[in-house]
This record gives sequence, structure tokens and C-alpha cells, in this order.
Amino acid sequence: ISTSPFGRFQVILLLLAFVQSVLVVGWCFTEMEAGPGAAMSTQTNGDRFKIEGRAIVPGVKTQDWVSTARVLVDGEEHVGFLRTDGSFAVNDVPSGSYVVEVVTPTYRFEAVRVDITSKGKMRYARLVNYIKTSEVIRQPYPLQIRSSGPHSYFMKRETWGWTDFLMNPMVMMMVLPLLIIVLLPKVVNTNDPEMRKEMEQSMNMLNPNPELPDVSELMTKLFSGSKGSSKAGSSSKGTRPAAKRR
Amino acid sequence: MAELILLWLKCIILYNAVDAVFEDQVGKFDWRQQYVGKVRFSHFDTHVQSSKKVIVATENNVFAALNTRTGELFWRHVDKSGPEGNIDALLHHGQDAILVVGNGRLLRSWDVNVGGLNWEIVLDSGSFQKACLVGQQGTVKHVAVLKKNIISLHYLSNGHQKWIENLPDSETVDYQTVYSGGNGEVYALGIVPHSHIVIIAYSTDDGEIIKQISVEAPWLSNIVASCAVIGQGVLICVDSATPSLYMYNLNPNMDDLQMTQIPLQSLGLEVAPDFQPVLVSHQPNSAHQPLSEFFLQLGPDNFLLLQFNNGQIVTLRDFKPALLVSFATTGEKTIAAVMSPKNKTACSINLFSAETGRRLLDTTLIFVMDPNGGKPEKIYIQPFLKKDDSVGYRAMVQTEDHTLTFIQQPGRVMWIREEALSDVVTMEMVDLPLTGTQAELEGEFGKKADGLMSMVFKRLSSQLILLQAWISHLWKLFYDARKPRSQVKNEVTIENLSRDEFNLQKMMVMVTASGKLFGIDSKTGSILWRHYLNDVPSNAAFKLMVQRTTAHFPHPPQCTLLIKDKDTGLTTLHVFNPIFGKKSHVTPPALPQPILQSLLLPLMDQDYAKVLLLVDDQYKVSAFPSTKNVLQQLQEMASSIFFYLVDSSQGRLSGYRLRTDLSTEQIWEVVIPMEIQRIVSVKGKRPNEHVHSQGRVMGDRSVLYKYLNPNLLAVVTESTDTHQERSFVGIILIDGVTGRIIHEAVQRKARGPVHIVHSENWVVYEYWSTKSRRNEFSVIELYEGMELYNSTVFSSLDRPHAPQVLQQSYIFPSAISTMEATLTEKGITSRHLLIGLPSGGILSLPKMFLDPRRPEIVSEQSRSENLIPYAPELMIRTEWFINYNQSISRVRGIHTSPSGLESTCLVVAYGLDIYQTRVYPSKQFDVLKDDYDYMLISSVLLALFFATMISKRLAEVKLLNRAWR
Repeated sequence: ISTSPFGRFQVILLLLAFVQSVLVVGWCFTEMEAGPGAAMSTQTNGDRFKIEGRAIVPGVKTQDWVSTARVLVDGEEHVGFLRTDGSFAVNDVPSGSYVVEVVTPTYRFEAVRVDITSKGKMRYARLVNYIKTSEVIRQPYPLQIRSSGPHSYFMKRETWGWTDFLMNPMVMMMVLPLLIIVLLPKVVNTNDPEMRKEMEQSMNMLNPNPELPDVSELMTKLFSGSKGSSKAGSSSKGTRPAAKRR
Repeated sequence: MAELILLWLKCIILYNAVDAVFEDQVGKFDWRQQYVGKVRFSHFDTHVQSSKKVIVATENNVFAALNTRTGELFWRHVDKSGPEGNIDALLHHGQDAILVVGNGRLLRSWDVNVGGLNWEIVLDSGSFQKACLVGQQGTVKHVAVLKKNIISLHYLSNGHQKWIENLPDSETVDYQTVYSGGNGEVYALGIVPHSHIVIIAYSTDDGEIIKQISVEAPWLSNIVASCAVIGQGVLICVDSATPSLYMYNLNPNMDDLQMTQIPLQSLGLEVAPDFQPVLVSHQPNSAHQPLSEFFLQLGPDNFLLLQFNNGQIVTLRDFKPALLVSFATTGEKTIAAVMSPKNKTACSINLFSAETGRRLLDTTLIFVMDPNGGKPEKIYIQPFLKKDDSVGYRAMVQTEDHTLTFIQQPGRVMWIREEALSDVVTMEMVDLPLTGTQAELEGEFGKKADGLMSMVFKRLSSQLILLQAWISHLWKLFYDARKPRSQVKNEVTIENLSRDEFNLQKMMVMVTASGKLFGIDSKTGSILWRHYLNDVPSNAAFKLMVQRTTAHFPHPPQCTLLIKDKDTGLTTLHVFNPIFGKKSHVTPPALPQPILQSLLLPLMDQDYAKVLLLVDDQYKVSAFPSTKNVLQQLQEMASSIFFYLVDSSQGRLSGYRLRTDLSTEQIWEVVIPMEIQRIVSVKGKRPNEHVHSQGRVMGDRSVLYKYLNPNLLAVVTESTDTHQERSFVGIILIDGVTGRIIHEAVQRKARGPVHIVHSENWVVYEYWSTKSRRNEFSVIELYEGMELYNSTVFSSLDRPHAPQVLQQSYIFPSAISTMEATLTEKGITSRHLLIGLPSGGILSLPKMFLDPRRPEIVSEQSRSENLIPYAPELMIRTEWFINYNQSISRVRGIHTSPSGLESTCLVVAYGLDIYQTRVYPSKQFDVLKDDYDYMLISSVLLALFFATMISKRLAEVKLLNRAWR
């Protein structure tokens, strides 16, 4: 008991330290952001940098799609075009943090975040995460943006086929019992006495506990005298778990 | 865990419930038209003889290649809008096109065939003056770029800089142009106005100055406007004061300090009064010298073809009257094309040999001018050699209204591009009129009764007409069915326009910035009428209002366009018929005072035209139309007419009331301090919006009533401090009648541009969060509470309880260009937000995702209310793009309009392109789906029918058998 307050205290300390570190990280981060902004406001015609990269659509010739593609930096803030080999360079970008997207109507590309410090030296690319903006998954720079396939714009029509209709659970539920009701009496000749005997036997086989008295018997016993009531009660109790087991 | 899975399943189901486009619906009810904008530079691709390309660079910062046969785009590149993407120069060499972009910031080379970029380089800063191709020994390998203080030479193959030189004395000398005659030198020409010309010859190889000389020219102020280089490097200038031509020979060892003067009188020429003469020269190949022939324009309609020969100037031909001239070269031949007026409606273009000035036979081409269009402004000639070595040609004419017309001899129009449509400012969708017969039937009920017999006859005759129409319709169906599918063509013309069953086809009235109005059929996208207003100021603001719809036969529909000069505030009205585009005979009032505000009242005059109120800067109100009837109605209604004015320069919002004598009285004023924030936009609700349900049913079966104030205004403000830590975006909801502030919200560490949609009881807005560097959506919903105060009428003056305000924000993973909400006839259908993205897609986002009641923790109640659990990030799914791969560049506006079907909303997105489609926010619940399986249902019916027949028969047989037993 005596150690527990100390332990709690330690935890609090740890927590504090953690909070502090988070704060420091946060502070560093905001400072990094503020840097370019400040630089921009002080020197309006400050240094301009270049975002370079290359877009690849696997299995498709670049000539077929580059004429419809554009590189958008922060929406339409800066626009770049693709060279005939798929590479691109967006010129004249001031320092800051940007989301770079390759946009074509046919192919899908992931957006990438590129940060440029006010000195233009530390540029790195990472996958865009809008929710946790501080989470960094670094990508190589210059950017290599690989298409993840064509855009899917269309919904599939619901087509109607016999199999769909038949495999519908409702239909199955209706049709199967129907089949059993109609077909079973025809397959099994109920008028044959041998067969009837066989069926009775199989019914008995189905009954898991042949020693158990029949329900009707039980009832007669129950109403015939109060003497057997306790016995009947116990036996009825006994059937239940058996039924459950089944 | 199970709960989570359930939730997730529910999410999936909801996501899938949203309507999307099916692949077989492509092009069924949607269309797109792509534009490039007003052409600034244009070149025909002469690299290959059979090339069908014309490359254009436009004022909208678009660079594109058009197909000369059809006028369609081969490819198009849309640069950043504004001065940073401005195309300063276009040079064309072989299959490369060189562009100078952004006031000389970037130099780009494009492959014309593929439409891909060859290279792009950044040039040194400095304001761009001129660029030219530099050739040497018959081949062009370099491009020279002249800036205010530097000249640089770049390789055409990779853009690398060969040399760069500072221009001497660039503080005093204004270097304006650069010239190369293909013999190893580049000349930079500068001027000290009204003093002298500075000519510097650079060596192409190393940029060394070969010669630098100043030539006296005290009469000259601008080289570009009044000089040209002709022949073997002769600089020729024209002076309107003397009037005379001056010449100077550019060569590496120039030593003259004077220009040779040739008075125009000595040539027998005279300049039109107050006209600055213009010289037009032509250099067919940059590796060779320019032609020694040139055009001299002496008056607005007078051109001369002159030749410079051994120091002498010879007049080859005098063209009067002539509107436009142009040189063009094919092979070795250079021709001069001259456009001259023929009569009031047509012009003729003729070709002349450039060397002799002789007219070429069979080269007349008639260009018929559209009476509703503008005057020709530029011509571009594409000549070609025929088999017999004579010259044939096609011509592209650009007119004042930004139209490009491509014509072939002898005057067949191959295509027309209405480039004014690249800049649509505002639009309306107007119902089409009923057909003649429909109108006839309608007319029967409108007229006064005149006797029993005549009424009966009228009834019978109208029934006959209907029968006749039906039979002819059947006949047409039968007739068309026999013809092959390709021959059946349903061309829409103004004559056969009529409303369809569900009012899905409408007339789109579009107003463009150039002042050209268009009427476009919404079903096919064909332009049915056009009307060019040639007296529109360049900085005009437009507002289009429908005063009378087509519902009031025999009165024609009427639209009023308010054109306001943004500088002076002076306003003119253009009243027209939106179906035919004709100017109405109704004369609009003259408005001598600047207009501050205009209101379209729900009042109508005796001719069913809605009343337009105009408030001038003296706060006086004038009405249009202003008949006695209208004035009387206004007097009666005056006490309930309120309006508001926004003065964003002063940060003031003020509300006024109309008095019975049509003067006004200020009743409220809200001042937003200018030092802290400024008003960006004020948004009311759309007047034609219907709200079907008054409230929302909650999980516990109680009703949460919406706060539906039709007078509510959403005011967006932005902080003047743009620092990212202190900037903010504010939303103020104000009642427009009382001035009462209903709600105020501030988004800290945010900045604009703010896009806002205000509808029903909600406001959705989008802004940029500077803290997290992402776009965010925020939604505000207003509710009255569990009880309605006055359920029959809403009055701003009598609402004692403040509404409950709910707000929620979301992350949006893209910037947006514009935003609008869908609109349907009765407002039963659920709403979607249509969001234009910079990538060109239009996202249809269900409003359900922007619901401030989305719970963080799912409960039984929220589940039964169908609320989606809160997730911070909204998704962009390409299945939700209503325009699939038909991307629309620079979407500026989205117009939504209800159709006759409650499920269907008509959407027009406009920007550089125009896209029209239909959306079904809650799927097509009121019509059979277009994939409805008629075969299945009919086969099932038939099968059931036969089954009953057969089983009946079998039952009968069985009964009979039993009876026999």
C-alpha cells in the first residue's frame, strides 16, 4: 500500500514529461511552419524553389496520357505539366508545405506532401495524412508517383440472372420444402407395408432416448394419479437438456 | 466489437445507397463543351503538309491544338489563371511550340504532336519584352528572349541557356524588341522616347556585342507600335506627324547616325486624320530574312501593299476599303490576304501575290457576318498548294465577340467556336414554351365565354386538333421506325422547341463576360440563339432575372439583364425574350443614377411580369415595369417590402424599408469593423427553393422543427490580418428584415477563400485551416426546437425565441473551386452538395454527411434516425463524380434547376468548359429506372397467365375424372 502513492506520482511525472515532450514537438512543428510564412511576409520576392518528380502509369505509354495530365500543388495554387517522359517540375514555388497531386481524368495517383524549408534545402516528401498532420511517412525525393490504376467512375448495374433468383434465400426456403412435400411421397411408396415398417424403425432410431416414456403416456400418468407426479416432473426435466444437446 | 462491425456494415450500406453514374448512361443526358478562351496567338501547324492542327494560345492562359476539320480539341493545357500563367509569346518551329509564360518567368517548349512538354526552364526575373527564334545557316536552333535589362539565348532542343548579357544603359533605354535575320547576329532594339533609338548587334555564338549605335529619332515614342523590320534587315518606322517613313539598315558595320526619311507625300499617300499608321511585315522562316514587301495601314479601312527595292519604296497595290490583312506562306510562295467589306452582312477575302500585288484567280471567299455577332478582328490564313501549283486556302476569322469561324472556299463554314462561352458569368434555365397546339388548348380556358354554341364548337375543334396531332405523331413514329437509325435526326431548332413531358429540356440562357448572350438547348447543347451586346463595358457586372416565365401565354417570356459598370456604378437594362433571344419591344427605363441594389418582387403587373425594384445611390426606388397598376400594388405592399445594402468597402450592412411614396427609410445597420475583418460575401437563400418537411423526426418519435427563416442572410468575413496564427474566418447569420444577429461563428486559424451554400435551415462553408494545413467543411443547422412558435406564417418581426444552433466540422481532402446544392421541384428529395474540384471533377456529396447531429457515440436512437456516426474526414469517391471522366477545367459556377420530376435536378457546371447533366439525389423514385427489365416482367406475366390457363384446364380434367370414378 505504501508504494502505490509513489508509483502514482511517478506515473504523473512521466505523464508530465510526455506532455512536455508533446508540447515541445508541437512547438517545433509550429515554428517550422511559421518560418516560411514569416519569410514570405518579409521578403515578398523571396527565393523560389522547384518541386521535381516523375509520374508513372505501369503498362501505359506516356504519350497516351501526358497530354491530359497536370500537376496541381495545393489545389491550383501552382500548376506544372508533365514532360513526354512522365517527369515533371513545378517551378517558382516559395518555401512552405504543399500537397502535390498528379491529376488525370483516367488514372489515379496518391497525393504527396512536400515541405520546403525557407532555405530550400530540406525538402522531403511524405504521404498525405489530413487527420494527423504531424505523422510522417517519408517518400523518396524527387517524387516517384506511381499510379494505382484507372479511376472507377461507374457503378455496376444489377444484372438479373436465373442463378441469382434461385440462390435467393427466400426462394430457397420456399422451393426446398415444396420439393420435399411434393416429391418425397412419390419417391417413397407409403402403401408398401415393408417400407412402412422400415420407416417406423428409422423413426425410432431418430429418437435418441428410447427408454424415455412418450409424452402422451406422461400425460395419462400425470392425470391418472398424483403418485407419479414427481417422477413425471423429473423425467420432463431430463428431456430438456437432451433436446438442447440435439 | 459486434457493435463496431454493425456500424461498419451500416456505413457501407449508406455509402452504397448513394447514386452514381452507370456506364451505359454515358452521354445519354449529359454533354460537355470544351473551350479555350479568346485567342491571342495562333499558328497553323505547317510542319507536315497534311497536318490538321492549329495551335492557339489564349487570354485565359490556355494553350491548345484544334482540329481544323472539326474545330474540336486535340489537346489542351490549362495553366494557372491570373498573371502568373499569362502567355506572353508563342513561337512555332517545326513540331515544337515555344511559350513565354508569366511575364517572362518561364520558357516552355511543347511537342505539338503529342501535346506533351519537351522542357521548361525558369528565366531570370525582369519584365518580358519580346522573344524571337534565331537561325543560322538556314536552321533554327536558338530562341532569344529580351527582357527589360537582359537578353538571353537558349537552345531549342533542351532550353539550356547559351549566353546571357546585361543590356547597356537599361535604366534609361527602353529595350522593346529583338530581331534576327538568320545571319549570325541578334539585334536588340531600344528607345529613349523622343530622342534616339539604340541598336545593339550581338553575336549568336558567344553573346559578344559586335556593334552598338544610337540613331537619332526624336519623333519616335514606341518601336513596337510604329516600326517593323523588312527585307535585308531594314528597320522601317512610320511617323504620323510628318507624315513619313524612316528607314535604317541593320548590319554588323552600321555607321549611319541618321535614318533615311521618305515623306509619304512623295509616294502620293495620305494618312487619315487622327490615325496612327501601322506597319505589318512578315518573316516566313526565322532562319531567313523577312520579305521586302509589307503592309502600311493609313486609315481604319485603308491598307497599302508596299515593296522596298534598292532603297526605293514602290506601291504595289492600294486596298480601300479593306478591314484586315494578313500574310501567309506555303512552300516558297507567300501570299497576302485582304478582307474587304462586300455589303452590310458579308465580307470577302481575296488572295494577292505578295511579290507583285497581283490578284490570284479563284481565291475569293465570302465570310457572312452574323448580324448578332461582332465585327471581324483578326484573320489567320492557312494556304496550301493544289496539285496544279495554284494556291488554295482556308481562313480562320476571329470576331470581336471572341468567335472563331473557320471557312473554306468559296465560303462554306466548316466550324464555329463560340469562345465567349469560356467565360460565362451568370445563367438561368427557362422552361420551354408549350407547342402551338398545346397553347391553343390552353388559350381556350383563358378566354371569356361567348355563347354556348361557340364554346361547344371550340371544344370540338380543339379535340380535333389533338386527334390530328396524335395521328401525325403516330405516323412519324411509324415512318421513322422504317428508316435506318443513323438517318433519323432530331435537329433542334427554335421552331420545333417545345416542353417535354417532364420538363427536363430547358433553355439555358448564358451571359458571358464579353457581353454575348447565348440560348442553349439543355438536352443537346446546341446553341439556338446568340446575341452580342457591343456596348458592354469591359469591367461589367451582370445580373440576370426572369421577369416572366413561359407560363403566361400569349405574353412572351421576358428576361432582364442588368449590366453595371463596376467603376461608375451606372447601369443599363437589356430586356429580351429568353426563348428566341430577341430584344423585347418593352423599353427599359433610363437609369441616370448609379444603382446600388436590385430586387425582383413576387408582385406581378397585369401582364404577369414580375416587378423589378432598383435602388439608386440617393436611396430612391424605381420600379420596372412602372405602370399604374404596379405603383398601386407597391403602395399597398410597401410596408412589407424590406431590402438590405452591403457596403463592403466600409464594412457596413444596412436594412431599409420601403415607404408608400417609394422613398426608403433605414431601419437597421450593422457595422463590421474594417480594421479587423472585411465582408467577403453575403448569401441569402434561393427564392425558388421549396422545403417539404418542417422538421425532423427524432429517434424518440418527437419532432425537431427547422428554423426556416426566408430572410436569413449568411455574411462571411475574413480577418484583415493574414498571419496564419491570427487569421480567422467569421460567419454571421443576420435576419435581413430586422437586422437581428441570429448566430455568429468564428473559425480561428483559418483563411479563405470561403465557399458557402445557404439553404433550408443550414449553412455549409469551406475554408482553409492554416493550423492543420487542410481544407475543412463546417455546417451550421438552425432549429426552432421541439415546438413551432407559429406554424402557419413565418414573420421575422414576431419570433421571440432564438433558434438552437448546431455546428460540426469535417476535414475535406481537397481544395474546392465552387459549391452548390441540388434543388428539386418540391424539396422532398434529399439534398446533395455539388462540389467543383480543381482536378475537374464535380463531386456529389450527400448532405447527410454534413449533418451536425452525426453522433460520436452511436445509440439506438441515432441509429433509428439513420445518422451516420461522426468521422472527421469526408471521403472523395470517384463514383460520386457526376461527370465521370469528363473533367471540367476551372469550374467557376454550378447552376442547379428543378425539373418537372421531383427526383431529378438539372445541373450545369461552367468554367472554361460547360457541362450539363441530371442528378438523382434519392435515385429515380418517380419514374421507372432506365434499366428496368421489361422483358422479365412481361415474361413473368405471360408465364403466369399460361400457368393459370393450363392449371385451370388440368383442374377441369381432374374434376371430370373424379366425377367418372
